Parts: sequence; structure tokens; C-alpha cells
Amino acid sequence: MSDTREPSSLSDAPARVRALFEHTARAHPRSARNLYEARDAHPARFDALTDELLASCERVLGDRALEVTVGGFVRFSNGVAFDQARYERDGAYAHKRYEEVNAALYSQTEEMSDYLWGCALTNVLWVHHLELSLFYIDRFLGRAAREAAGAAAPVVVELAPGHGWWGRLALRRLPRATLRAFDISPASMLIARALADVDGLGARASYAQMDATRAVEGEGAVADLCVCNFLVEHLERPADLLASIAHLLKPGGWAFFSGALTAAQVDHIYEFRRESELVALAEGAGLRAVETMSLGPERVLKGARLLPRSMSLILHKRPSGAAWGEGGR
Amino acid sequence: MNRTSTLSRLQDVFREVFEDDDLTLTPSTSAADLEEWDSLMHVTLILAVEGAFGVRFTSAQVSSLETVGDLVSLIEARG
Repeated sequence: MSDTREPSSLSDAPARVRALFEHTARAHPRSARNLYEARDAHPARFDALTDELLASCERVLGDRALEVTVGGFVRFSNGVAFDQARYERDGAYAHKRYEEVNAALYSQTEEMSDYLWGCALTNVLWVHHLELSLFYIDRFLGRAAREAAGAAAPVVVELAPGHGWWGRLALRRLPRATLRAFDISPASMLIARALADVDGLGARASYAQMDATRAVEGEGAVADLCVCNFLVEHLERPADLLASIAHLLKPGGWAFFSGALTAAQVDHIYEFRRESELVALAEGAGLRAVETMSLGPERVLKGARLLPRSMSLILHKRPSGAAWGEGGR
Repeated sequence: MNRTSTLSRLQDVFREVFEDDDLTLTPSTSAADLEEWDSLMHVTLILAVEGAFGVRFTSAQVSSLETVGDLVSLIEARG
């Protein structure tokens, strides 16, 4: 659809944001509406975050940045919408086994690169993911910044960073932090590393290609902060991931953890149906969910029975290192 | 099936999906001509087309479609 608003509604937007809207309207008119919805929700913050993200992409991709990232975003979003429609029809996600998806996607550098550039843009261009980005910045990184004031440099461990957006946000907003990131995808490590380098953050970041769920092996409680977004629904045994997060966190540490609920995608294999399931996973690992946010998209498929949601949880590890108590005796 | 009859059947599918009995398609009809044809409606439309024509598309094939003529060509190629 061509959004009918006048281009003048973007007159106060940064040049990169205006170029993004113009490119999308011209090359992918059916997707233009998504962008307006996201910007309308938080104009100033949308502009700032989108400009920040596109500037990083431009420094890696040069003149092809909009073509690559917006094209990837449209393919990613369309793929998600089609997968959701088939999930509604079939009653189950398409894949059940991690190894199937690893062979078909994660290990395929070209397909995975397109997926990652597109996925990066969803953090600002899908309005419900923009809200989660702001939740992360304001509530999680905001708290970390206050607690880290005057303390030693915090260590951030990111599991499955993909495009690396969340980790870079942490490095920018916590100037003394260092980041250790683990992802099974070679394409992820190339892109996340390239973006950190061009942003001048590479000296504080390390990226290792390995199964994020095995990052715990040989490590003690090393993380002041742990970030793990949208990995859990890609796994066959999600409880193992939460155990890893709890293990990696230092006593008193904080985690930002996100998952998808009744939301199909080619690589989603574990079907979470209720928000309480994610809270229970965290509790099962001895952590406490002190803040949560769960949101669905502004619009869903015509006649949809299921509401796809993305949920983020801010998790706390007890300062003593032991699991939080359950009350009573 | 020739392109004209495919276009005619496709018009029936569009009319049902967009709930507009007066909708008239030409090969050059695109999202610019139909205000409701956004990315979500595109999915509903493509699934309806799959059902009506007994075909199955990949999301990559249907993501790049720009005009009704492109969709006719895709259906003909799968038919």
C-alpha cells in the first residue's frame, strides 16, 4: 500500500530517515505503512534510533545500505507474515528440530546475511519491537547505568546477538562496559563484528562463533549483565538456556531476556503460548522477573485466531548467588 | 488456461479478499492503485490465490511481486 500521507510529515526527520521512507515507498510500497506506524508511536526516538542504526549500516554497506537493509526487512517481514498464516492454518510451527533449521539457515552465510540485515531493522520499524527496544534502553540499560556509576567496568555477555544491535546499544550507553558475544552463525559474527568496528566499539567487544547455549562451558559467573533476545524459541530445550543465563550472571546481576509467543517464523521451533511460560522458565532457573513487557503487532492477519507477541523480561539474580526464595518454610 | 482467464479468476479472488465487488484488475494494477493492499493484506491475498488456483508459492516468490501481471505470470508458471 502507498501511505497517503504527505512527505512533509517527515520534514523534521533526519536525512537518513527521510531517505528510508522514500526508498521504501518507491521500492516496497506495500511495506510503507509499517514505517509510519512505528514513527507515529515515538517520532523523536524513532528518528534517533533509526538514524543511529542506518548510520552504522551505511558505514558497512556504503551506497547499497538502503537496498540491502530495507530489502532484507521486507523479505523478513513477509516471510514472518506467511509463516504466521500457515501456522494459523496448520496449527503448528513448520520445524521442530534445531538441526533442521541450523542446516537450512544459520549455517548458510548468504541467506543468513539477508535475514540479519532485515531482522536488525525490525528493532525500529516494527512498532512493537521499537517499544521493546525502548524498554531495553530505558529500563534495563538505564538501571545498569545507574548501578554501574562509580563501579568497575561491567561485563555484558550476549547470547545469540545476531546482527548485534542490542550489544552495541549497551556499549554506547555504558561507556566502560565490555561485551562478549556468542552466536552459532558465521554470518552473525561477521556482521556484528563489522558493525561494532565501524561504530568504534570493536575494542570493547569480542564475538565468538559458537553455540550460545554452550557459552557457559568453562565459564564461571562472569556477567554483570546478560542479554539474550529471541533465542529461546529457536531451541528444543529452553530450560537449558535459562540455566546458562543464571550460571553466567554474577550474584546480583541482571538479564534482559526476550522470546516470541504464538509467533511463527521459519526458525522458530518451540511454541510458547502464554507469557507465564517465560516467567516460569526464569523462575525455574532461580531468577526473578522484576519487569516484563509483552506486545503484539498493531495489525494482525484478517480473521487471525492467534495473537503473535514478543515478550521481554528483566531478570534479577539474587545478590547472594543462591536462588530467590519461594516464601513460607 | 490463458492469461485473460487467469486474470478474470484472479479478479474474483481480489474482489472477495478486498470485499469490493466493483474492483477491476488490469495487468498493471499494483499496491499504488489499491489503498488496502499492504503487506498483511498481501499475505491474505496470496493464500486465497493459492487456494483458488491449487498452487503453492514460496514467500520469496510472492514478496517480489509488484503488479497483478506479475502474479498472473507466477500462477501460469506454476499451473
